[in-house]
Amino acid sequence: MKKIPVYIAGAGIISALGSGLAATAAALRENSSAIVPLSLFPLVQGDSLPVGQVGGLEDMPELPRTHRLALTAARQAMQGRKNSPDAVIIGTTTGGMLESEQLLRHGIVDTASYRYHGLNTVAQVVGDDCGCRGPMLTVSTACSSGAVALTLALRMLRRGRAECVLVGGVDSLCRLTYFGFHSLQLVDRNGCRPLDKNRQGMAVAEGAAMLLLTNRRPQNPLAELLGAGLSCDAWHPAAPHPQGAGALAAMRTALADAGISPADIDYINLHGTGTRENDLAEAKAVRSLFPDPPPLSSIKGATGHSLAAAGAIEAVVAVLAVRQGLLPGTVGLEEPDRDLRLQPLRQGEEKNVDLVLSNSFGFGGNNGSLVIGRPRAVTSVAAAGACDPGWLTIHGASCLTGAGGRDATMEKLLAGESVAGRPADDQVSRGLDPGKIRRLKRLPRMALNLSRSAFAHCGPGNTPRSVFMGTGWGALSETHAFLERLAETDERFPSPTDFVGSVHNGPAGQVALMFEATGANITTSGGDYSFEQALIAADLMLDEDEAAFVLGADEYQENLSPLFDPSARGGANRADGGSAFVVSRSLPGGRCRVRSVFYGPGTTDMESLVQACGGQDYLQQRCRLILAGIPAAGSAAGEEQLRKFLARVRAVVPVFRYRRQIGEFASATAVAAVLAATILEKGDSADLSADGRPVFSGHDSIFVLGLGATITVMEFTRP
Amino acid sequence: MDTLIEELKIKLIDILNLADVSPEDMDADAQLVGGELGIDSIDVLEMVVMVEKDYGVVINSQEVGEKVFSSLNSLTAYIRDNRAEDA
Repeated sequence: MKKIPVYIAGAGIISALGSGLAATAAALRENSSAIVPLSLFPLVQGDSLPVGQVGGLEDMPELPRTHRLALTAARQAMQGRKNSPDAVIIGTTTGGMLESEQLLRHGIVDTASYRYHGLNTVAQVVGDDCGCRGPMLTVSTACSSGAVALTLALRMLRRGRAECVLVGGVDSLCRLTYFGFHSLQLVDRNGCRPLDKNRQGMAVAEGAAMLLLTNRRPQNPLAELLGAGLSCDAWHPAAPHPQGAGALAAMRTALADAGISPADIDYINLHGTGTRENDLAEAKAVRSLFPDPPPLSSIKGATGHSLAAAGAIEAVVAVLAVRQGLLPGTVGLEEPDRDLRLQPLRQGEEKNVDLVLSNSFGFGGNNGSLVIGRPRAVTSVAAAGACDPGWLTIHGASCLTGAGGRDATMEKLLAGESVAGRPADDQVSRGLDPGKIRRLKRLPRMALNLSRSAFAHCGPGNTPRSVFMGTGWGALSETHAFLERLAETDERFPSPTDFVGSVHNGPAGQVALMFEATGANITTSGGDYSFEQALIAADLMLDEDEAAFVLGADEYQENLSPLFDPSARGGANRADGGSAFVVSRSLPGGRCRVRSVFYGPGTTDMESLVQACGGQDYLQQRCRLILAGIPAAGSAAGEEQLRKFLARVRAVVPVFRYRRQIGEFASATAVAAVLAATILEKGDSADLSADGRPVFSGHDSIFVLGLGATITVMEFTRP
Repeated sequence: MDTLIEELKIKLIDILNLADVSPEDMDADAQLVGGELGIDSIDVLEMVVMVEKDYGVVINSQEVGEKVFSSLNSLTAYIRDNRAEDA
């Protein structure tokens, strides 16, 4: 089937090289390094390590540095545009971490101070700034985040779910990443020397890049995003596969997605971080795909490694290559490592190129490759019209709550009882190999437990290849342990284990390891709507004959949860847990079906919402039960939204406010999703809601609503 | 009994979360990294930190590290040879 072309209509960039396309291109032509000793925050002791630090960032009151970097790049990309994008997708790992670290050290316990901590607040700030009325999604897959965000945007536009998407990656320097990579001995004290014989590691950096993508050919497109490929090594939490198997798979998938062969590629922008292992594994992968490689280079000796921003920054570098014929050199490279058997560009070149391959690889073996090219001539283009309904088949499900696993949880909920609480440690670790989970704290153990149970719940033959996990707050136990030890030891002895475990995509990476799931591996983080984001990602990525895990989980951490999550309840009301599903597009043997119907801001008008749900008639005929998720911190707005929605639907439908019974945690929605699936399978909602006891048949649906700051709708029905 | 070896066994069980291992199970001559305990490169980094933090002994090259962490005995000997007198 011919793929709908996706154009890059605008681009913005800010990095250690400067701000804007022109400044970036000029700096790349100079072929010098912008890496300097850290000065952004004071160190307790010791010399500053070299970093890629952004100078002269505009001051924006109250907003954390990550958000300011993102806004700067976003405003450049949107310059001269009258219309708002239909969606915003941002890759980030740091969110408000730089500021939160400081607040935590000063013992600040005022929750309002942490309101921009969450990764999802970056997309919200950017989305609000450009007037986006649609989904604002956040992916956090370590150093491939930017490339993964672009992949989701490409899929969204090809499927006709949007006409215009603002997408990119951003991270600011912070202590977590600065000391974290140092603790892994991955930082080169002499600055970054990618592909060099004497390379000793990376330079941690910061920056942002945003691209405005559209499936409507603009007057003067900058470039075309032709293809994208994702893969997971499923090999090790932090080290790449030694033969570059995952890197190779990502590049292959990207080329196939673009419909081109390796010989068509004119330039490869390498991930090229400057660590011994990355550069070696990447070189092996490149050589096995390209017997005679085209010109290639890494810019990370100039910029440093801007982590979640890198994939987007280098997508902009690819745009510069096709627009201006600028092939940047590999700054820092003195003597190419012969073991790599590559001839990287040392100096920049000016050359006409049509097609560029850009690589981004990250922790958890998370790989993304993009193909960016000169816009092709318009042929008879298939219209980006008909939206497919996006149904996913559910084959198996599991959950963890204060009541325990799925059966115990469902029994209590259907009897009208609360399951809110924290599953006991031995419940969370049940069935897991103690040797394999010894380094894992609460959230990754939950993810392993959930995926294992969900897999056991489905019929044979559906081994998942891909993993999509939503988490509001990530691995808080590891994050807290890392920051606490860092502070206690005067920044001398940060824990490498805790750093590796602290990344948001750590738990999903563990699931991939357990199931050798080498397909896409995407972690989304959307606060109280994280599970919905994971479902959207799964829907965008899943091919016809493939099974995948979709998870949502969050942990309650004594110190951080009460500060970060405004809905979290302390004392006896502490709650956490989550769920996992095995899903496919249309493999046989499904228990029920689910689709993401709507995701948009809390200010969405009810008419649009009802239309998105299929209209008033559809809702009246099909909707037998509403499971409403109203976070405690957004209860006034949520109740008002619910009241207006019901008034607009004009139907008497029982409503179950599930957060009261499941607990106040970001992924409570994931448990509500298991509840919806269970009720449909049983055909009876028992004593769930005082509003009535619907019995289900035929085409009846359950709608799971997320309300408050964002409005989400998922529809569940029988197969 | 070598008290430093016994002390290190307890420390390793603690910092590497070897929950199902007891000090008696640990053979001081056995291969430490890549052996039966499942100790890998991240654990090595964690041990490097511990050795510096608790004994003031710095291991700053991969070559030295490979020798030092080859067994509990070699780790004990290295700490003993290199720690400051009064540490």
